[in-house]
Amino acid sequence: MLATSSRRRPLGRTILHVAIVISMAFGVLAGAGGYWSVVVAPDLVRSPYDPAVIAAARTVPRGKILDRAGLVLARNAKDANGEFYRVYRGPAISQVVGYASGTYGRAGLERGYDAELTGLAGDALTGAFRKFGASQYDPSDLVLSLDYGLQRDAVRALGNRRGAIVMLDPTTGEVRALASTPTYDASKITDPATAATAFAALQDDKDQPLLPRATLGRYVPGSVFKIVTAMAGLGSGAITPSTTYKEQPAAEKRGLMVKGFRVHDGHHPQTGSTPLDLVSATEVSCNIWYALTGLRTGGADLVAYAGRLGFGAPLPFDLPTAASQVTGGTGKAPGGFVDDVELANASYGQGETFVTPLQMALVAATVANDGALMRPRLVTALRNKGGERQIGPERLRQVIPADEAKAINSAMVAAVEGPLGRLFTTGSKVPGVTTAGKSGTAELGGTGEPHSWFIGFAPAEAPRIAIAVLVEQAGRGGEVAAPIAGQLMAGYLAANP
Amino acid sequence: MSVSPRAASAPTLPRILGPIHPRPRWTEARLLGIVAVALIVGSLSLGMTLAHRFAPYDAGGLAIYLAALGGAHVAQVLAGRRSDQILLPAVGLLGGISLLLMQRLPQDLVTLKVGGSTIGLGDIQLAWLCLAIAVATTLGIVVRSDTWLRRYKYTWAAVGIALLLLTFVLGVDVGGQRLTLRIGPVSGQPSELLKVILVVFLAGYLSENRPLLIEQDTRLGPLRLPPLPYLAPMVAMWAIALGIVVVQRDLGAALLFYAVFLALLYAATGRLSLVLIGLVLFVLGSALMASLFDHVRARIDIWIDPFADPLGTGYQIVQSLHAFARGGLLGVGLGAGLPMVGGRLPIPEIHTDFPLAALGEELGLVGVIAILGVYLVVVERGLRIGASAADDFRSILATGLALVIGVQAVIIAAGDLKVLPLTGVTLPFISYGGSSLLANAVVVGLLLALSDKGVEPPPPPTAGGWRSRLRRRPR
Amino acid sequence: MDGFLAVIWIVRLLFLALLYLFLARVVRSLLRDLRAAAREPSSSLGRLIVLDSPSGEPPQGRSFDLDAITTLGRDVNNAIVIEDPFASAEHAVLTYRGQSWYVEDLGSTNGTYVNGGPVADLSPLGYGDEVAIGQVRLRLERARPA
Repeated sequence: MLATSSRRRPLGRTILHVAIVISMAFGVLAGAGGYWSVVVAPDLVRSPYDPAVIAAARTVPRGKILDRAGLVLARNAKDANGEFYRVYRGPAISQVVGYASGTYGRAGLERGYDAELTGLAGDALTGAFRKFGASQYDPSDLVLSLDYGLQRDAVRALGNRRGAIVMLDPTTGEVRALASTPTYDASKITDPATAATAFAALQDDKDQPLLPRATLGRYVPGSVFKIVTAMAGLGSGAITPSTTYKEQPAAEKRGLMVKGFRVHDGHHPQTGSTPLDLVSATEVSCNIWYALTGLRTGGADLVAYAGRLGFGAPLPFDLPTAASQVTGGTGKAPGGFVDDVELANASYGQGETFVTPLQMALVAATVANDGALMRPRLVTALRNKGGERQIGPERLRQVIPADEAKAINSAMVAAVEGPLGRLFTTGSKVPGVTTAGKSGTAELGGTGEPHSWFIGFAPAEAPRIAIAVLVEQAGRGGEVAAPIAGQLMAGYLAANP
Repeated sequence: MSVSPRAASAPTLPRILGPIHPRPRWTEARLLGIVAVALIVGSLSLGMTLAHRFAPYDAGGLAIYLAALGGAHVAQVLAGRRSDQILLPAVGLLGGISLLLMQRLPQDLVTLKVGGSTIGLGDIQLAWLCLAIAVATTLGIVVRSDTWLRRYKYTWAAVGIALLLLTFVLGVDVGGQRLTLRIGPVSGQPSELLKVILVVFLAGYLSENRPLLIEQDTRLGPLRLPPLPYLAPMVAMWAIALGIVVVQRDLGAALLFYAVFLALLYAATGRLSLVLIGLVLFVLGSALMASLFDHVRARIDIWIDPFADPLGTGYQIVQSLHAFARGGLLGVGLGAGLPMVGGRLPIPEIHTDFPLAALGEELGLVGVIAILGVYLVVVERGLRIGASAADDFRSILATGLALVIGVQAVIIAAGDLKVLPLTGVTLPFISYGGSSLLANAVVVGLLLALSDKGVEPPPPPTAGGWRSRLRRRPR
Repeated sequence: MDGFLAVIWIVRLLFLALLYLFLARVVRSLLRDLRAAAREPSSSLGRLIVLDSPSGEPPQGRSFDLDAITTLGRDVNNAIVIEDPFASAEHAVLTYRGQSWYVEDLGSTNGTYVNGGPVADLSPLGYGDEVAIGQVRLRLERARPA
């Protein structure tokens, strides 16, 4: 009875409970206000969807974008209404710099560094105090590591073919050229007079000129992926540079049986019946040797070492990048492979393997830099009223030990300069400089022409430039991509002695 | 017999206007003084920002508003009632902030032709605010008896349902929602009035049946529930809420009604099991609605990730969040926010659905928390009036009225801040709109009246009633 | 930062400060109100003292704190059980409504008496009044101060 009579008391107690609940609800609202107004506010106020940013874009001049020599790549002009619009140096840089248009939004670095270029960037504290000043905006100029001349040469080298070229300094990760073709003229998108027709035409173009292939295109790598397999094999200890497989020479003729599936190879009769080691297998680009190496390394280690090179997730970069993959990852076998057949094929780049040109350039650069992966970067400094802020090189990780990287370096030198290698990589050698590289011919299945690949670096003993060249459906790697790479590296080394 | 004849005599008829016995209200006067100073400073801030002069912005409008507040204070002093002294200043501050905001927004958002001239948003809102103050004050002074609410609860329920049906049938679709009822030249949103009627009905029903709901049990597995027939209103309430969602597409009103109902059910019975069942019904209902109706599902999708389509479906809420972000801690200052792009405000429907986002930008997190604090004060006063009321009916009525304001403020603030899906309810006392202001004025007026304990005691319990039913309780 | 801008910011921050001054004053009033409420007598509404109880149930001299609704009768489910041959199972109920107490006879066989007079149906009850049910006499008193 006591229990029930206590429940009949006046309502004070239950009303108190209601008051507590609604007070907590208000507390949650205050917390949410703090989240949006303070915690994530720095991101939101820089977003191109913020009307303050949009309004500022019309009245506040954006910061300039300069190449490494100080050449102006992007500047401002005024239209008839006195509002600013962007003018760019030329189509060669459009895939990198992008565009900043009031109507069509932002792309490229103009998008990634919108806040800095508009002058809205800064931590929460400076943001809180900036509003006390006369102008809320302090635009920064961007200084890029890009070499405009090299960039233009790279775009010209690709010509009217679809493809991509990435060139970077392997010791710092600074990108010197980042070409994707076909490209477009960003100034036509930002110029109010031509914007509408130009943008519509670009969107309708079936060659997708707005797609930055170097960073967002994902391609079958073919034999250039063998460098990744070699790094995984050496790094995991599964092989040494002198590892040979006695079944390999015979398999050259009959094919290698993996789980009833025959891995074919046969385009290098010159080596006869001698079992190949790392250097000679790389020189002749032996699929059987790399398949066996992949199988011995195992799927788990192959995926793990690829992951250390940046596979499996978008790369940390100033532009958006697509994630490269070794395998689709849906299988039950170690590493996510379906079975050993897929692993064997992936080991020479013909499985469910897809890579971006930037990723392959990093593979070459890591070998060149004694196994250390540097964070790729385009923006090296920000300049505003407060002065210049340098963004220094950043070492991401040591992928494999330096001596193992040197072994692969030698193998890649053999692939370019060796008596047999030379036949596959015609034209990639920089005259007078020891050159390392690896060509790739990525079969697409079906009847189309293969993708033509080349990755490499020079000079091999103290590399100053690493490169990845991809030309879509252009034929054999040694015939198309390799000469482009040799010519561009030669030009760069000559201009930067 | 020492029974006093006073108590035995029948209750006297309500006095409409008795002889005048003024009673000073110093707390209210002091608080109103602060409100006046604050609003003048706010207007000054607005004037300096927008007109670049050291003078209040639209000083005339503000003067009229402050005079109305002062008039309400004087009227209450003269009436001599011992009613609450905090509600009027708190609500007056919110209304003043509303006035500053509406004066500052583009005046052509809403226009009205009066005689030969056209008046804009700020002036219309000023007129509604003054009318609302008059309504609240009049109710707070005049209402001395609650019989008219207590006795006719089913009549009120019928009026409410009639209003609802009328809106279902004759309502005008505005922005995909059938909320507006237009009869001749008068148009309004009945759901605003409906919430008051709902609370009156619930107070009557729950106070009458409280002992039964508390004492009797039906065992359903491990649950101990009140007799099943007395759960019928709960199911009916649930069905009405669903009906509002389906026919009127008004998620906000449905959520408000249902939340207030559950809170009152708990306040009256103290039974957590009822609230739990109510929440289960709510989840089931929401799932049902989401699976059946695209507009409900769309709202939920937008809520989960508005940034998926920041220029399309998620536009409003994304812009609201951007406004809070631009405001930061201290705000950009009254009149300095809301960047216009191409002559358009950043947030559509800012004056009805997103005033809090506008205030979040211009007053910052610090200002938003202050405004939420004022709402909490209003709710707390209402609940305190409820807790110390003379009987169950008045307790539940005051609690319900306080919750109507509090829960509505929470729902729309949570919508603006992406804590809940966005629903189109107004922010009490701040949003533009006559229906909303007048309905909330009725709420404040009734709370003022209920807070005066020196009035006619509630009627003694009648013989029969619940106890005759209690007697038939099976053993 | 020019002078006009500085003044604008002073005015803007002053406005925010005034909002908080208002809240602080309101909270002070609320706390004063709560303290005043705490000084009021205990939440119990009143007591019923057993003056005379021949059967010993309820025990003589015992004091019952009353709820807003307190039932009396022979049945064990009553808040105050009256073990008396002249008491009915559900004999009477005391209710507190508004400012005062009421006693109501629930149709008992032998009736309920206030200060010696029979209760017809419902009767107001003052502090100090005596209620008689059968041979049991009880007196309504104010609650003890907390």
